Amino acid sequence: MAILKTTRVSRQFGGLVALSDVSVEVMENEIVGIIGPNGAGKSTFTNVIAGVYLPTSGKIEFCGQDITLNAAHEKCHAGISRTFQLTRPLVGLNLIENVMLGAMFGKNHPMKDARRESMEFCRFLDLKNIERPVSAMTALEIKKMEIARALATEPKLLFLDEVMAGLNKDETMDMIDTVRKIHSQGMTIVIIEHVMRVIRELTHRVIVLEWGKVLCEGTYDKVSCNPRVITAYLGEEAEC
Amino acid sequence: MKYSKYLAVLVLFIVAAALPNYLGLYQLQIMNFVFVYIAFALSWDMLLRSGQLSFGIAGFAGIGGYTSVLCGYNFALSPILCILIGSAVAGIVALFVGSQVLKLRGLYFSIVTLAIGEIFRVIVRNLEVTGAAEGILLPNAIFMGNATKTYWLMFAIATFTIIISILFQKTRIYYALTSISNDEIVAASSGVNIFKYLVIIFVVTSAIQGMAGAAYWQIYASVTPEGAFNLGFALLPITMALFGGVGTTWGPVIGSAILSVTAEYLKLQFPHGHLLVYGFIMVAAILWFPSGIMGVFKQFTAKFNT
Repeated sequence: MAILKTTRVSRQFGGLVALSDVSVEVMENEIVGIIGPNGAGKSTFTNVIAGVYLPTSGKIEFCGQDITLNAAHEKCHAGISRTFQLTRPLVGLNLIENVMLGAMFGKNHPMKDARRESMEFCRFLDLKNIERPVSAMTALEIKKMEIARALATEPKLLFLDEVMAGLNKDETMDMIDTVRKIHSQGMTIVIIEHVMRVIRELTHRVIVLEWGKVLCEGTYDKVSCNPRVITAYLGEEAEC
Repeated sequence: MKYSKYLAVLVLFIVAAALPNYLGLYQLQIMNFVFVYIAFALSWDMLLRSGQLSFGIAGFAGIGGYTSVLCGYNFALSPILCILIGSAVAGIVALFVGSQVLKLRGLYFSIVTLAIGEIFRVIVRNLEVTGAAEGILLPNAIFMGNATKTYWLMFAIATFTIIISILFQKTRIYYALTSISNDEIVAASSGVNIFKYLVIIFVVTSAIQGMAGAAYWQIYASVTPEGAFNLGFALLPITMALFGGVGTTWGPVIGSAILSVTAEYLKLQFPHGHLLVYGFIMVAAILWFPSGIMGVFKQFTAKFNT
């Protein structure tokens, strides 16, 4: 069953068309990858689905309900959660409090329950010293904290926007395991990524965006052999 | 170390309770200023914690003041009831204004709050029912001018504000407001209804300002347009909060206490130049300890602990 369905979703910024007629589906318990060159509209797509921007036209259905014009916090309550391409920790709060925010306002838990739940998510993601301020955390830890914050809203669909960016090889391996672990709990995941190895290892299906349009979609093997994708994204001389 | 905070609060409370027995009328009057400014500065800071800069203190204090005096004048209601009505009306005005302008936020919000006082000043100046330019004079001051009772009333209002501030720092509203001031996109994506929380905090802080303003003008038993909507009521508490240290409960309290007493002292020493000296203190404070007295105190204790 499709958990997320977009029908001809477009978003313009003035004269710039960032997304144009994007019609895609995400199935339950699937890991979908979204790839495309810089400026293809990957992050705009996430922002439109998560409610940071509203689409200029088109329709977004989530779990069979029309959520096209819902505000960001309503989309969060509906069960859509996301992390950010550039990490956005709340520096006024410490590690556990950042995670608690999701549990308190995304899932409406009282403060005590929210703390307990959040500690579970920190343990699940292997985050230690949970009373630390953000300034004492590594890049990987901040990324994990943001995933924990997103998970604490107990979403049905999780968007990971370039969650591997800036991580070294070991950290990337660690993060791939983390995503697998989250998926094994029954989560549907959309992962936006530049690192093709990550896409190959994790995703069941790949959607390729270019100039705000869906170029093609299918399994990694199928997509990466598509000549149009190779021209647009992987480069002419790439082998597959 | 953990209990020293509670001990300090207890000592402060006992000192405040003992003061009326030792102070003269004039000193008690100064204490009333201190308490009013604590309510103003702290409530302003509570809104600032959500990232919204307001100049609305003058407007809401004036609205509270006018409402309470009008209630006393026209319906001869008890002063305490008048003060509560003044507070409620300020809250209702904030609800109406907030639900219109809090969608904009930032600079737009600040300017609208600045305009509230001016708009109401012009309105009351031109209406017969509000006494036009002369304002309104009540037959009697609150508690028949009993200085000790007045002191306790103002003390109660300041304490009430402090308690609300502490509560807001310890409950989920703290997380909502901190996330909003840190990063609105993250707050909304984590499920925080930004608009709702901003309206709540704006209404609560405005009602506090209305209450303090109402009590203040009940002491004087009169209101005038220029007095009640004086922009000084917005600017002085803001400097006090900055001086004491924003983002904390005790910063604005300490700042208000020190600066209102200083202001009175300066008025006696330099009747014509006191604001100049006051301004000089502010510039010095912002230059040398921008995080306020609480900031300096925290730095000091951090050094001491390590």
